[in-house]
Order: sequence, then C-alpha cells, then structure tokens
Amino acid sequence: MADEQRSCWTEEHDGQVLLHLGGAWRLDALRDLSQQLGKALQSQRAPQAIDGTALQEIDTAAALLLLDSLAAAGSDPATLALHHFDPRHGRVFEVVRGRFAETAVQAPRHKLTPIARVGQISAGVGTLLLGHVEFFGRTLVELSRVLLRPHTLRVHELFAQLGQVGVNAIPVVALVTFLIGVVMAYMLGLQAEKYGANIFVVDGVALGITREFSPLIVATIMAGRSGAAFTAQLGTMKLTEEIDAIRTLGLSAPQVLVVPRVLALVLTLPLLVFVGNVAGLAGAMVMSNLTLDITPQTFMERLHVALAPRHYVIGLGKSPVFALFIAIIGCRMGLSVSRDTRSIGINTTSTVVQGIVAVILLDAMFAVIFQELDL
Amino acid sequence: MSGQGDAVIEVDGVVTRFGTQTVHDGLSLQVRRGELVALIGGSGSGKSVLLREILGLQRPNAGSVRLLGTDMWNSSDEALAATRKRFGMMFQEGALFSSLDVAGNVATPLLEHTDTPPKLLPRLVNLRLTLAGLSADVGAKMPAQLSGGMKKRAALARALALEPEVLFLDEPTSGLDPITARAFDQLLAFLNRDLGLTVLMVTHDLDTLLSIARRIVVLGRGTVIADGTADEVMAVEDPWIQSYFSSRHTVTPATDPGRTALADGA
Repeated sequence: MADEQRSCWTEEHDGQVLLHLGGAWRLDALRDLSQQLGKALQSQRAPQAIDGTALQEIDTAAALLLLDSLAAAGSDPATLALHHFDPRHGRVFEVVRGRFAETAVQAPRHKLTPIARVGQISAGVGTLLLGHVEFFGRTLVELSRVLLRPHTLRVHELFAQLGQVGVNAIPVVALVTFLIGVVMAYMLGLQAEKYGANIFVVDGVALGITREFSPLIVATIMAGRSGAAFTAQLGTMKLTEEIDAIRTLGLSAPQVLVVPRVLALVLTLPLLVFVGNVAGLAGAMVMSNLTLDITPQTFMERLHVALAPRHYVIGLGKSPVFALFIAIIGCRMGLSVSRDTRSIGINTTSTVVQGIVAVILLDAMFAVIFQELDL
Repeated sequence: MSGQGDAVIEVDGVVTRFGTQTVHDGLSLQVRRGELVALIGGSGSGKSVLLREILGLQRPNAGSVRLLGTDMWNSSDEALAATRKRFGMMFQEGALFSSLDVAGNVATPLLEHTDTPPKLLPRLVNLRLTLAGLSADVGAKMPAQLSGGMKKRAALARALALEPEVLFLDEPTSGLDPITARAFDQLLAFLNRDLGLTVLMVTHDLDTLLSIARRIVVLGRGTVIADGTADEVMAVEDPWIQSYFSSRHTVTPATDPGRTALADGA
C-alpha cells in the first residue's frame, strides 16, 4: 500500500515551499525515491521546510538521499524546518543531518600514472632481489654455524621436513616423470621409426631424461609443492606472531625454521631426481615395448651403452643448486609476509613464480657452462 | 512501522553437542524489538556458538531458532537470503575483506543488495563510517593499516550498511583500551536509542554491562541461569555470577590463582 502512495510532493504556502513526504522511505526503494524526488523538486523553488505527516518510515539512507537532493536543489540542510515529524523519524533525520557535511568528504585517491607504476614495480623487484641476496648470505652464515656446531641442528624439525618434502613427494614425482618418459619415447619413436632407427630412441630418452627433464621437472614440482608450503607455513607463523615468540624466547628463527627446511630440500631433491630418472626410464621402457618392439632386455642393454655416467651425474648435480634457490625463496617470502592475511596468498603465488623462473634460469646457465666445458 | 515488544529473536529448546560434550541443553531465549541485550557466561558456555546458531552459521543438534520470524534452520534459501539482509553482524576480529579498502568493505553489501544511485553511494558509505564513529577519510585505507579499534568500527560500519533491524556483536570491546571501549558503548547505546536497532552482543566487559546493557542474559550449565537487569542478575544466587560481578573488587592474590581459575571454570 505504501507503493501506491506518492512518496513526496511540494506545496507553496505563504511564499514558502513545503516538501511533503509520504509512505515508507527505505534503503531498498532508494532509486525510486530518487526519481520521484527529482520530479518534485524540478518544478519548484528550493523548499525551506519538510512535512512528515504522511511519513510512515524513514531510515538513514533515505534521509541522506533527501538531504542530498535538497542540497542539490538549493536548500540549506542546516536550516530546513521539520513539521509534523514522528519523534522517531525526527531522530533519524537529525542523526543524518548532523553528519551531512562530513559525508561529502572525498578521500584522496592517488592514482599512479602508467610510467610511475612501471617504476614502482621495477623498484619493487629490485628491492626483492636485493633482499634475496641478503637472506641468502644470512642463511649461508647460519648453515655454516650449524656445521661448526652440529648439536645446534634441529634434528626433529629436519626429519619432519625430510618426510614432508621428500617422502611424501615420491608418488607425484614418480607419476609425472613416468608419464614424461612415456610421451618422450612415443614422440621420438614416431620420428625414429621412419628411418628404422627405433633403437636410438633409447639414446634420446636416456640422455634427455637423466640430464635435463628429470631434474627440471622434479625441481619445478618441488618449487610448487615445497616452496609454496614453506611460504605458507612461515607466513602463517609470522601472522600469528609465532616468529616473534621464537625471537623473544632467545631462539634464532633462521636456525630453528630456515636451516632445517633448506637442508631438507637440498638433501631430498637429488634423491627425488633419482626417483624421477628411474620412473621416466621405466615409462620409456614400457612405451618402447608397446609401440617400438624394443623389449625391456634390449632397452636395458642399449641403455648401458648409450648413457654415459657424466650425463647422469650432471643431472643429479644440478638438483641441490635448484633446491637451495627454491628453499631460500620459499623461506624468505614466508618471513617477509606483512601483517595481513592477504599477503600470505600474494607471497605464496610469488614464491611459486620465482621458484620456477629461478630453476629454469639456473638450468639455462648450467647448459651454457657445461657446453663451454665440453661436458 | 512494527509495534514495540514483538520478539525478533526466538531461541527455543536448543541443544548443541560437540562429540560427548553438551554445550547447550534445551536453551531458550527471546529478544524483543528495540532491546539491547548482553550475553555473558564463562569460557566454553557456548555464547559465541549460540550467536552462530542464531545467525544461521552453525546448526544446533535440536531445537529451533527464529530470527525476524524466519526459522533459520528450516526455511527456503530465498527466505534466508531475505532475512540476511535485515540483520548485521560484527565479528570479533572485524573480518574485514583484506583485499578491499574500508570504503569498499562498506559498499559491498550496498552494491550487492540495493540499487543505490551511484551518485549517492560514496555519501552513503561515508554516512555509515561516521555512524560507526570513524571519519570519512578512513574509507581509503586498507584493513591492514587500521588499529584494532578502527577495525572494529569499520566492521560495525559494514554491519550497518543495509539498515539492519538487528545488530549482532561478538565481543565488541575486547582488545580496546578503556577510553575507546566506553566510546564504543556509547555508540551502541546511540544506535539502539536513536535508530531503534535491536542489539544482541556477546561481551565480557563489566563496564559495558553496567552502563548500557538494559538486559543481561547469563549462560551456564547448558542453559540460561539468569536473565534481567544488572541488579536482578547480580541478585541471583550462583557462584559463577557472584564471582563474576565481584571480580573487579577481589583482585587479591589470596590463593594459587591457577587453582581458583580451575575451580570456577564451569
């Protein structure tokens, strides 16, 4: 029934313009009210008074709309007189009137120009990388302290991390590298079959998997899996002030938290790469048997001839370096979480991106170095 | 529009169990429109759980909860959605959306549920901020930049966004200094008196109870053990209530405090 009533109309009385309100003035009808108010105020001079005889309800949002529209029409909100207002409605109106001037405040929003944004982001990346270098140094110092005084090594934490980082990662690492082996044997096989060079698939797969694919893919998996875990774990601890608690108890946060994680990843990544090598070669062996008529026995015999140990050693040897970078990035991003929940998500994402980029960059550098060394 | 005195919150025979532990054992409670009610009780007496059950966030094992006439655990999604627009909740830590600035937090329910004219929106957000006792320029800040008291006020501004009829607050003054806490009390009294909001809050603040709460409900042993004005509640013969209201006078290291705390924890 409130909808059928007019919400507002004006009346001229002794040279004064009076605005009548009627029905329910509520937040959920603001758009409607705004239109009606616009029409009512269009034809007349600005009202000096409001009559609330027919008003059934008014809330603060509607009162704000009323004041805003009246002010826009030229009325002075401070001197508007209220006639026949229910005391409850009057109180609501006065609450809003008292704050009306302040609601006009527009908080300054400083938008950066695109060039300034590029600059800001570049400076941010620079600071981040410098911070990494510093953190890297501190972690090495901390690691050497632990080596000099082995009893300060947190054995319990180290083993917990070895389990999480290493043992629990075996299934995913094995599955992914197995499938990579299958795909590689299949793709190489398609080409080699044309030349009747089936057996050389083993050469390609053995070299590719052990020297490049297994280290690279396992490190990428670990950057996503363990790097992100380190950041999320340490970031949450930072947020709940656990890291501050560690400090105030006279313990060293790097020694308690960072060293075990770095050591765990550096120790386990080569082992996981070994798992990846075995699984990848197994995948290739299965695929070769199915599509290329190379029996497992022939595959093993060829592998023995084709795979020089140095390729295998180079592949394994790269992995601790990858691990060091992934762990350092993960821990540092976790410890540099700021005190709000959103930054854990931001830093975790950043860890994964940085970890993967770092692994690929390092791998490229290794490739160039080994090329120059004729390895 | 609606008459004074009708029940806006009706809790009837609520039973809540966590495993073998019974938190509420047939608890009933009614709050009428326009009341300002404080819910107190010892740790583990299920104050916050009751609040979550009234809000429809946690299902009680038995019993019914009606909020603004809607059965919160036996209604259609549409009815629940309509009811959710009619109450506001201020969580203990604010629960502000950390990815939005304060103005964005307050504007979220307005953008989602109303068709406020875009021109009016910034003003309306500012009005909510000033109603919650913040100055309008706080709107541009991110939640992480706010102090504890400001976070609570910003959360209150968001809870007030949709002109709620009922306002729920979980520990509104915890973690605030006494001066800020008293200002917050006055703010709640003003919202209750001048805007006619029904207020239900969980609190532990004796000053809040004694200054603005016109009705205090005490939970204990799974049910309501006292209900009334501060004077009426203080007159109830119950060891927990007696020690609660006398706690500010008896900060004497009489016995091993660890042991008394254990003995009192009902």
